[in-house]
Amino acid sequence: MNQSTGSLGTRILGAVAAVGCVAVVIFAFGVSPADAELGESIRIMYVHVPTVTAAYMLLIANALFSGYYLWKRSDFADVAAHTTAEIGVLMLGLTLVTGSLWGRITWGTFWEWDARLTTTALLFLLYVGYLALRAATDDPRARATRAAVLGIASAFLIPIVHKSVDWWASLHQEKTLFGTADPSIDGSQLFTLMLSMAVFGVLAVWLSMHRFRVGWLSLQVDRMRVEKAIEERRSEGVAA
Amino acid sequence: MIAMVDHWGYILGAWGITAVAIGGYAIAILRRGRRLAREVPPESRRWM
Repeated sequence: MNQSTGSLGTRILGAVAAVGCVAVVIFAFGVSPADAELGESIRIMYVHVPTVTAAYMLLIANALFSGYYLWKRSDFADVAAHTTAEIGVLMLGLTLVTGSLWGRITWGTFWEWDARLTTTALLFLLYVGYLALRAATDDPRARATRAAVLGIASAFLIPIVHKSVDWWASLHQEKTLFGTADPSIDGSQLFTLMLSMAVFGVLAVWLSMHRFRVGWLSLQVDRMRVEKAIEERRSEGVAA
Repeated sequence: MIAMVDHWGYILGAWGITAVAIGGYAIAILRRGRRLAREVPPESRRWM
């Protein structure tokens, strides 16, 4: 009897992610040369960029699931929105930490109140607030509705974070890959970065599938407890 | 030379924190899933 959140799909994805992680480490430390400008610190980019890309995808998915929840009032969409926000916060937190370590090497400081850094920190805090709101509301319907509204509103900050290096003077380097006709890195560095982004994408999907199932099981357990409590009340009434 | 050693500390730190955070989260989720799955009948676990 399978007493876990695993399935054939998650096992295949998990195996792909595990092999992919090993490949990324080999390419990041064994194949990719140091960068002419960034030096060895480019190796931090192989985790920094994939975590932020995964975070963007998850938080956009959160807004889509939130919209679907408000439209259909579907438990599936609510659990999926919670899942994507939680893993999105994890990925965005890692983006801030790895970016800070990269900044210490490149700029000589862990933090600057730069447009990109500040908007990213704001985005992180908004989704921490989203998770706090969910934790603080007991009524499932009210929790799902409030979280969905906040999830959709927070997503409007994502394009602002992405475009912040174009709109404001920023210490942060300009876009390296997306939105540029001529990517500023190439060869094995570009391949390593793309491989890492793909692997982090698979990892995010694998984590999301397990986390979604945990959320779904939690919902079933809560319902079973409510039904049991109602049943007990009924039997007390009959006995009286 | 000292600067290069320092740089490697930050680089390995970034990778280490990422691995520990994602690995730790994955283990926590898998354990929580196993605990909850024991409480729920198989028909409620649609992925089985």
